[in-house]
Amino acid sequence: MNLLINGTSHTADADPADPLLWVLRDTLGMTGTKYACGIGICGTCTVHIEGAPLRACITPVGAAEGKAITTIEGLASTDADGIETLHPVQQAFLEIQVPQCSWCMSGQMMTAAAFLANNPTPTDDDITAAMRNNYCRCGCYARVRIAVARAAVIAQESAS
Amino acid sequence: MTKKPQPVLTLEEAAKREQRKISRRRFLLVLGGGVGVVAVGAYLARDTIAVEARLAFNQVFLNADTPSTAPPTQPLVWFRIDADNTAHLIIPKIEMGQGIHTALAQIAADEADLAWETVRVIQADTHSGFDPEILFTFGSSSVTSLYAPIRQVAASLREMLRAEAARQTGIDAATLVASNSAFTAGERAITYGEVVAAKQGEWSIPSNARLKTPSERTLIGKSVPRVDLYAKLTGRAVYGADARVEGMAYGAVARPPRYEAVLTRASAGTAESSPGVIAVVIEPGFAGVVADSRAHARAALALLDLEWTGGTTINQAEIDARMTIPPERGTLIQRAGSVDGAAGTRIEASYYTPMAAHAHLEAQSALAEFSADGVTITTSTQAPNLTQSYIASAMQITPVENVRVIPVYVGGGFGRKAGSDVGLEAALLARGAGVPVHVAWTREEDMLYGFRRPPTRNALSGTVENGRITSIRHELISSDVLLSPEVRATFGTSGPNFFETVLGSDPLAAYGSQIHYSVPNIAVIYHHEHLPIPTAYWRGLGSFANTFAIESFIDELAFAAGADPLDFRLAHLPAGALGARFETALNRVADASGWRDGGAQEERAFGIAACYDRKTVVALVMEVSVTGGRIRAHRAWCAVDPGLVINPDGTANQVQGSVVMGLSSTFKERWTVENGLGTATNFNAYPLLTFDEAPTIEVIPIDSSDTPTGGMGEPVLGAVPAAVANAVFALT
Repeated sequence: MNLLINGTSHTADADPADPLLWVLRDTLGMTGTKYACGIGICGTCTVHIEGAPLRACITPVGAAEGKAITTIEGLASTDADGIETLHPVQQAFLEIQVPQCSWCMSGQMMTAAAFLANNPTPTDDDITAAMRNNYCRCGCYARVRIAVARAAVIAQESAS
Repeated sequence: MTKKPQPVLTLEEAAKREQRKISRRRFLLVLGGGVGVVAVGAYLARDTIAVEARLAFNQVFLNADTPSTAPPTQPLVWFRIDADNTAHLIIPKIEMGQGIHTALAQIAADEADLAWETVRVIQADTHSGFDPEILFTFGSSSVTSLYAPIRQVAASLREMLRAEAARQTGIDAATLVASNSAFTAGERAITYGEVVAAKQGEWSIPSNARLKTPSERTLIGKSVPRVDLYAKLTGRAVYGADARVEGMAYGAVARPPRYEAVLTRASAGTAESSPGVIAVVIEPGFAGVVADSRAHARAALALLDLEWTGGTTINQAEIDARMTIPPERGTLIQRAGSVDGAAGTRIEASYYTPMAAHAHLEAQSALAEFSADGVTITTSTQAPNLTQSYIASAMQITPVENVRVIPVYVGGGFGRKAGSDVGLEAALLARGAGVPVHVAWTREEDMLYGFRRPPTRNALSGTVENGRITSIRHELISSDVLLSPEVRATFGTSGPNFFETVLGSDPLAAYGSQIHYSVPNIAVIYHHEHLPIPTAYWRGLGSFANTFAIESFIDELAFAAGADPLDFRLAHLPAGALGARFETALNRVADASGWRDGGAQEERAFGIAACYDRKTVVALVMEVSVTGGRIRAHRAWCAVDPGLVINPDGTANQVQGSVVMGLSSTFKERWTVENGLGTATNFNAYPLLTFDEAPTIEVIPIDSSDTPTGGMGEPVLGAVPAAVANAVFALT
């Protein structure tokens, strides 16, 4: 099976019904996308498929075949000299020092990045609606809220 | 049943027995630190001794400082400085999100005058030159236990480099100024890296290197950014669940249908011919499968031929019924005056804290890899030392050093990852299959197996007269923490046995049960109830349930006295430094929240709670509303005084997280059992607090000392349910 992940083509020996999460984590060794519930509740495993946030734990890999998959490993951009530039969401999460254990943060950031791409100037209620389905057991919610708003500002600044 | 005949004693034997009794009494008296023992008659004397001795022992244990550790004093165990001036710092504590790598690196870099941007933290493993016990990360004790030793070893490093720099440059050591990983003297500068690169032969380690004064500090007390976040935010950080090695396979382990059921017969059945199966591994009490994928391993588990025998069929109703204060006397663990016959209006209340899951989002995970030298375990654990000794003992691997445990980032610990079960599972499967094996529990396994927070019932009664509390009697019953099968399996049985027989309590379940207010008559009485449900460490240990009960009860007493809950607490502060710390924290949180000035918004109420846990003083105000039977926390203010705050922003994150976890536990989490097994297997049946349910949380860090005296990972948690309960009480 051929998968386009973070702009690179990968060949994976997988059954189309296998969850995308485990193809990423075990078959391809891309462990930045995390597992927590396996039933689509907590949002920890969120990735983008064609820019839309999806829960990789309940997404059959067959459904992602031939589509552009983005994981946390592909959220930052790297220039020709190998210099990495963090995505505005990553910059904001770093600046606000959001995480504690950070196990949920790949999913938080992928959710936020997809949301901000469609809603670059969100209200606080918009942020609540977008982020309310991602669990953080360490309890970093207040910081996530601040960081998502901050990411919107960073994205605006870097675009202008 | 026939009665055992009473032995007939000779006069001489009786005298000898009496002698032993007296010497035992003296022994206890010394340990107890001035507790009086009254002996009235032989039988009564024995009884009184037990009560008094246990009281003394429990008091010693409950009020003890963090056990001091003696890590290596040799700087080269801790630091490695490259020629390019990069400073590698090997940290013997586990990073599980509490920011400990940053806090300890700050302390070290401050004292050693390292340039912060050159510091790289390396996680120590069991073979890094530290006693593995030092790696055990528990009880919010990392900073307090390592603050002094790290400063001393960092000062040694600085002075060792200074002496060598003086030798290399010919400049008098006393005139060399250390700053930002370099020494300067006038125009001349030499970096630490240059000193190390030019060094030949053995270093001479100075003894008693001078420590900086508080005014010389550069990093301690600053909100230095976390050292681990870049790797975590780019998905590069490796946790136990992410451990991978070439040629590894995946393991799955058979689980019992009921707690305490024993695997009495096991054979491979048809599992070996199931797709992808590499090996079926059967050991006494253990059966598992190794396969080329996790899905294949789990599918084959169902094909094993297993017989589970016995086990509990207990239901939640029976558990709740067993967690009632029994008529027996229990163990007296705190006493002042006499609660019997205290004057005033009498108030009684009972509180119940159910079982809870840890619900760390990274499930238990470990990779085991055998080589000629033994086995290497890469795992997310709070307790590399226990994982090492547990595996060595269970698998009869000697010496113990042939088990190397490499702890990696922990995706939420909360006490659960002080357990060592998954490491042993991976090791057993790797040995049986002859290939490296990774075991990662599913959420379902993690919700059902391992151990829980014990349920706790607290019964309080007290009296108030003329606005003063005249007595508090606090009885609690809780199931195992230190007395758990988990602790007996990993620490060995001698410690738990000692506590059970000598203290007559599980001191970890009794954490937070003491009354710290100035009350003339106090009795705190502990009861133990062993349940067939595994319970052990959960963040804060007994402090969560006990603080909830005590601080809720204080509001009941304040109400009976007609007093404002804040003023009532201020009026009952203990004497001395602790009382002064409480006073500051309470006043700061009152000012921040506007307790005395406007209070809560319309249709909301404030609740307050204060506590003293892990030597940290906490005062919390919570603003709460109740709409249509639904309780909501809107805003929180929390003042914390751990002595000296190392990193204010890191402290704030711990407090904010504790408030959210405490609210989650208060509003949502009740882990229950039916027919001998947990009922919830995932977050659909055990939901956690979500983003939209979290309050805003303002944190007020307080320095009351120039030394950290308390921890920050746990103390706030127990104040949360009490502040909520008190706000709800005020509203309704």
